[in-house]
Amino acid sequence: MLDIKNLSIEFNDLNGKVKALRNINFHIEQGEIVGVVGESGSGKSVTALSILGLLDENAHISNGSITYHDQNLLEMNPKDIQSLRGKKIGMVFQEPMTALHPTMKIGQQLMKVIRQHKKVNKKEADRFAIEALKDVHIHHPEKVAKQYPFELSGGMRQRVVIALAMSSPPELLLADEPTTALDVTVQSEILNLMKELNQKRNTSILLITHDLGVVSQLCDRTIVMYAGQIVETGLTFDVLHSPKHPYTKALLNSLPDLKKQDQPLEAIEGEVPDLRNPPVGCPFNSRCKHTMPVCHEHDPKLEICEGNHYVACWLRRDKV
Amino acid sequence: MTPLVQINHINKIYGNRKDVIEAVKDISLPVYEGETLGLVGESGSGKSTLGKLLIGLEAPTSGEITYRDKVLWKKKRFMRPRPGEIQTVFQDPQSSLDPRLRVKQIIFEPLSALPLKERKEKGSIERLHALVKRVGLKVEHLDRYPHEFSGGQRQRIAIARALITGPSFIVLDEPTSALDVSVQAQVLNLLKELKQENQLTFLFISHNMSVIRYMCDRIAVMYKGGLVEIDETKNVLNHPKHDYTKMLLSSMLKVN
Repeated sequence: MLDIKNLSIEFNDLNGKVKALRNINFHIEQGEIVGVVGESGSGKSVTALSILGLLDENAHISNGSITYHDQNLLEMNPKDIQSLRGKKIGMVFQEPMTALHPTMKIGQQLMKVIRQHKKVNKKEADRFAIEALKDVHIHHPEKVAKQYPFELSGGMRQRVVIALAMSSPPELLLADEPTTALDVTVQSEILNLMKELNQKRNTSILLITHDLGVVSQLCDRTIVMYAGQIVETGLTFDVLHSPKHPYTKALLNSLPDLKKQDQPLEAIEGEVPDLRNPPVGCPFNSRCKHTMPVCHEHDPKLEICEGNHYVACWLRRDKV
Repeated sequence: MTPLVQINHINKIYGNRKDVIEAVKDISLPVYEGETLGLVGESGSGKSTLGKLLIGLEAPTSGEITYRDKVLWKKKRFMRPRPGEIQTVFQDPQSSLDPRLRVKQIIFEPLSALPLKERKEKGSIERLHALVKRVGLKVEHLDRYPHEFSGGQRQRIAIARALITGPSFIVLDEPTSALDVSVQAQVLNLLKELKQENQLTFLFISHNMSVIRYMCDRIAVMYKGGLVEIDETKNVLNHPKHDYTKMLLSSMLKVN
């Protein structure tokens, strides 16, 4: 349904060009939940924003295509993209307080979105709005519709944001760190809600997160990003249980989840490279324990290692 | 074991008559010398407020806190035991470091509360260099400004600032929540090592149960301002008694 090919994005910065995305390739099928994991600066949010044409003005797409049902989104005019945005492709942001209009009642915000996409009168739109709130398990939808965002808790606000995104309803939902600002108990409720919407309506979800726990709970497939590139991708179970890339392995080992108290955590030493001057060769070469001469010379390509599991690492390849 | 800090029936109420929020409700607990006590709870549960009462940023409405058997708050005055004895590391190193000071000035700043003799002793260049290297920074970083550093490095600066006075007790309020996982591991390892080397006592505030489990000897669970459970880490994890603790544990997302 969505196919991203050779996508590269640069940002113009005072000190030069930041190569935020380099040669990204992936696709999402109908009804699938795909997770994109990575640390800050890995390019995961830029990927989501580029799909909807929401990148800042200083961003420049230097290469590639984003195809949605045979249309290249990058070549579409702004008006046509606007007709997809929110209608066919919905978006849920991290911080529900800033994603909602602070001085507009919840019901009005929903009605506005609904009337943007459906030709209905106010009364019908109001009915749809209440329906949408019910769908995200808000218990007193009539009451909440008359409230302002500041009157709601973080979890309730995120439910409203999901209700807004799902009201059209979209075929594809982009969710950028949807539970990061929420408490753990609320997080699992929101993840369950997203799973339910996916199953009930067959909505595809692209979930951006830094949390491997969230991915393991929700996603069918997982894409691991590092320094603007995809380093590993495959079925979530395979990626988390038999990781192939040294970065994925190190990331899993740095989690305190399964470690005993007297074992030190296996931290990844060093820092994410500066993308103004991305390193020559593999982006992980300065922090990797298995670096070989070739890693400093050539960039490994994403290649199949088994089944649907792909990895970009010279350890997996014999020849250059 | 002797408690280093003893909290007795502490209450903290914000607001005036009409609009009252009971942030901390009748909490009593000891913090033992040399332990790491984890304080866990959801946002708004009062865990950060309790931390603030211990470092002198907020005065309790009622109740008593003692530090080495001396009362910490007399009416609304914070009776600090010895300047720099109790220190803190905050969550967001972006906002907790003065953007207009150089790293050296930031780390030295707490020393200005110390008497002259001690200030000279603790503010020696050798000690500063050793400390900076110990927390994983370089000597040449000292002349730079906070914005030139990554989140993990900034948190290392904040840790050095807390250690410069030679404290015994440090309140860590979500020290790794703003960091990436791989950097979080570096900082958690560093905190554990520093605690061993300097015989520190930690109050570790976090909402992340797996971080708390890894770092702490005992866990105190707060819910809506009250203390619902306090016990050794393994007992809280294996035999949680309160319903809220059970819910918290069941919503932990496991990777495997």
